[in-house]
Amino acid sequence: MSTATRTAVSFTVNGTTHEALVEPRVTLADVLRDELGLTGTKVGCEQGVCGACTVLVDGEAVRSCLMLGVQATDSSITTVEGLSDGPALGPLQQAFQRHHALQCGFCTAGFLISTTALLADNPSPSREQIRESLSSSLCRCTGYQTIIDAVEDVAGAGS
Amino acid sequence: MTVVEPHHVAPPLNPQLVGKSVERTEDPGLLSGRAEYIADLVVPGALHAAFFRSPHGHARITTIDTAAAAAAPGVHLVWTAANTAPLSDGIAASLPIDGMKPTVQPVLADGTARFVGEPLAVVVADSPHLAEDARDLIVADLEPLEAIIDTEAAVEATGRANDTLEDNVILDSERVLGDPDGGLADAAVRVSDRFVNQRYAAVPIETRGCIGDYDWSTGKLTLWSSTQMPHFFRTMLSGQLGVPEHKIEVIAPRVGGGFGAKACLFPEELAILLVARELGRPVRWIEDRRENLLSASHAKQQVNEMELGFSADGKLVALANRVVGDGGAYNSLPWTAVVEAMGASGNITSVYDVPKLRDRHITVATNKCPTGAYRGIGWTAPQIAREGLMERAARELGISPFEIRRRNVVQPEQFPYTTITGLEYTEGSYRESVDALEEAVGYEAFLERQRAGREHGRLLGLGVSIFNEITGIATRACFDTGFNVTTHDTSTVRMEPSGTVTVTTSITSQGQGQETTLAQVAADSLGVALENVVVTTASSTNTTTYGMGTWGSRGAVLGAGSIMRASEPIREKLLRTAALMLEVATEDLTLENGTISVTGAPDRSLAVGDVAGAIYFAAEARPPDMDPTLESTATYDGAELAYSNGGQAVILELDPGTGLVEIEKVVIVEDCGTVINPMIVEGQLRGGVAQAIGGVFLEHMAYDEQGQLLSTTFLDYLLPSATDVPDMEIIHLETPSRSSPGGIKGMGESSMLSTPAAIVNAVNDALVPFGRAITELPITPDRVLEITAP
Repeated sequence: MSTATRTAVSFTVNGTTHEALVEPRVTLADVLRDELGLTGTKVGCEQGVCGACTVLVDGEAVRSCLMLGVQATDSSITTVEGLSDGPALGPLQQAFQRHHALQCGFCTAGFLISTTALLADNPSPSREQIRESLSSSLCRCTGYQTIIDAVEDVAGAGS
Repeated sequence: MTVVEPHHVAPPLNPQLVGKSVERTEDPGLLSGRAEYIADLVVPGALHAAFFRSPHGHARITTIDTAAAAAAPGVHLVWTAANTAPLSDGIAASLPIDGMKPTVQPVLADGTARFVGEPLAVVVADSPHLAEDARDLIVADLEPLEAIIDTEAAVEATGRANDTLEDNVILDSERVLGDPDGGLADAAVRVSDRFVNQRYAAVPIETRGCIGDYDWSTGKLTLWSSTQMPHFFRTMLSGQLGVPEHKIEVIAPRVGGGFGAKACLFPEELAILLVARELGRPVRWIEDRRENLLSASHAKQQVNEMELGFSADGKLVALANRVVGDGGAYNSLPWTAVVEAMGASGNITSVYDVPKLRDRHITVATNKCPTGAYRGIGWTAPQIAREGLMERAARELGISPFEIRRRNVVQPEQFPYTTITGLEYTEGSYRESVDALEEAVGYEAFLERQRAGREHGRLLGLGVSIFNEITGIATRACFDTGFNVTTHDTSTVRMEPSGTVTVTTSITSQGQGQETTLAQVAADSLGVALENVVVTTASSTNTTTYGMGTWGSRGAVLGAGSIMRASEPIREKLLRTAALMLEVATEDLTLENGTISVTGAPDRSLAVGDVAGAIYFAAEARPPDMDPTLESTATYDGAELAYSNGGQAVILELDPGTGLVEIEKVVIVEDCGTVINPMIVEGQLRGGVAQAIGGVFLEHMAYDEQGQLLSTTFLDYLLPSATDVPDMEIIHLETPSRSSPGGIKGMGESSMLSTPAAIVNAVNDALVPFGRAITELPITPDRVLEITAP
């Protein structure tokens, strides 16, 4: 396949409109990382299992390794870079730090985005609902307990 | 036993920040997406590599036709062994152990492929997609050979996994101490079994990756790599490539988890540097998950045949073990194939007072991915065997799982204690750990619940495992456990004129938080605030001190020791200068909270920054014989091993109809001496328990008889998720080491070396009504159902 076969896409990422020429076969994760330089979204398996690449597409948590960049055209996307409040961590990120909900940090963006989707959908989830929801992502470092603590903390504070 | 000099002693620590759960300074970068991992680095002009890998477990390579690949769009180079063999032999690995067989894994398989996933060719192209497109055009003519897959059968097999070896045995070593056969013959109770530990792997969420570059104008090679050991990595690269060390820079960006798997030099990394040098362009390779599962080192595969003998009053009289460890097709570098079986042997008696021992460890080559290090290394499997047999003996003796351990651990009054194998335990809370676990699980109430449950067909089980862990691994530890290599780490501490502190260290971080914990140690060493300290872990071989990096629960001990030793002369200079400025004797000064004050007269004081500034800029203020610098470098290579200890108790319920298990309770007791940061210690413990759950129930690198790996996606290789891992209860005991820096002991591997045994024991406790036990892992529903619903 020639590199010349590129398609124009346009979408909003973290509030900013972007236009890019992308190969149809390239995933949204690769477009975000390689074309837009938003490398906070990580790629852990490219099989849709680990959840590290999770981003919000029109408010829905989506595996950006399983979505093609061209499929995201005209959508509104939020990545981990969009969760900070200017040059400061947002409340969820602060809770992750407070509760030691991350170690190597590679899976963290996926958890932060998945949690953002969860709390938008259900602002006061129970601990078991949080656990169930976060089972969509894999973390190899923490054992999950502190991630659930952090989400519970933020959910409790918001309710 | 060889004693290796020099041994270092760190100065005393005045803990102010040490012991506090301070929040990690590295977190904002990690949480905001700003931290850069290997795949995030942009190196201008970089090309992209893809590897063509063996589809067979063992095959003769007749031809590899690369013509179509080389002609594909955007392709710059396609190389096979014909290109790489003249440039580098490959990964040559062994250890200085009598009778051990070295191996060489070629950069690209040369004539014979010895495991599925072994690299046969490398393609470099303008994009990763084009490289993979071209890679798929390579046609290899491979003639399958007999694959050696079964670990135990490999010992005697006539076929060879690796025809450069005379047989499949990489190392076979036995020690007989005391009279184990007599001890067992006289034992009142004997328990024995064969325990089969499956092959699984570290599997960090970030895969491997590297970027190689070559600058012909300086002759310098640069390798960016997701590695746990950049300095030693460079030393190994230099040896394997024949390039002088000072002409290589290794740069480690943020590392997305390692757990031992990234403390290894792989042939892919040699290949990337060779093609980058050939092309004069940076070349980037980011491993995909399939490659990771196929070839990024495997671990844990052992068969232990163990027997324990007890006196009538439940005292261990002898232990006999024969372990066969599966090393895969080649020795990995630097761990080699023996890391499992010899690791198993290294601490075979653990916390127990064992008077007689037979201990044989055999490492075999098979046509599987080379074995590397994974958290808990070889200790996990024999722990399952020994702790399983302890509980079986307790049932035969009619005592509780806690009581049998209380009777057999090294007792408080026995310290300092030397094991029959020569390990020296200077202190430990072995019996206290057992008591703490018993109390935390509410043993009597559990027994009542278990009994009541059984009446209604409910299968509750309680399992225990207690351990000690060899930590702070420096030269002494490596010699005491038979690895016979020298290891140490070094830090540079610099106080700037304003009194702030910059530390560079050879220790790395893959998420353990050393930038925070080592800053806590540095701040306390120099009596300054945490926000005035920055620690740079070994991010580049050009800008940090030489050392071995982070593995083997050594970062805290060796990092702290080297920082405390390096801080000592700085502290002395500050106090000597302040003594002149305040016109008092040095001994009359206290350095704390950023201030140097006259002891008992706190109004007579100087800010640390004022004294530091005077040393740099006011020649008249400092003693005339003092250099105007506050920079110091020191190594730590500890005189004694720091043994941490503890245990886990697990309560679970097993569903006899489905074979599924629900873990109800996990209690962890950890004694790692002086705790630098409790929050971080607890994080390490919980993470290790999650990996233990994966290792017992889910994770399996399953090969078929032809050597085909059947688990090459996360749909086949299952990692535990949030619903598989329960909340845990953690109990801290604190028995400081008498010799380690500040009494600190390492603890990173403990959960993963010991918790699997507690979980297996809990399952087997639940299965007691059936009179059978599971001794082959992983414990899948099928294996449970064979017993509960045959």
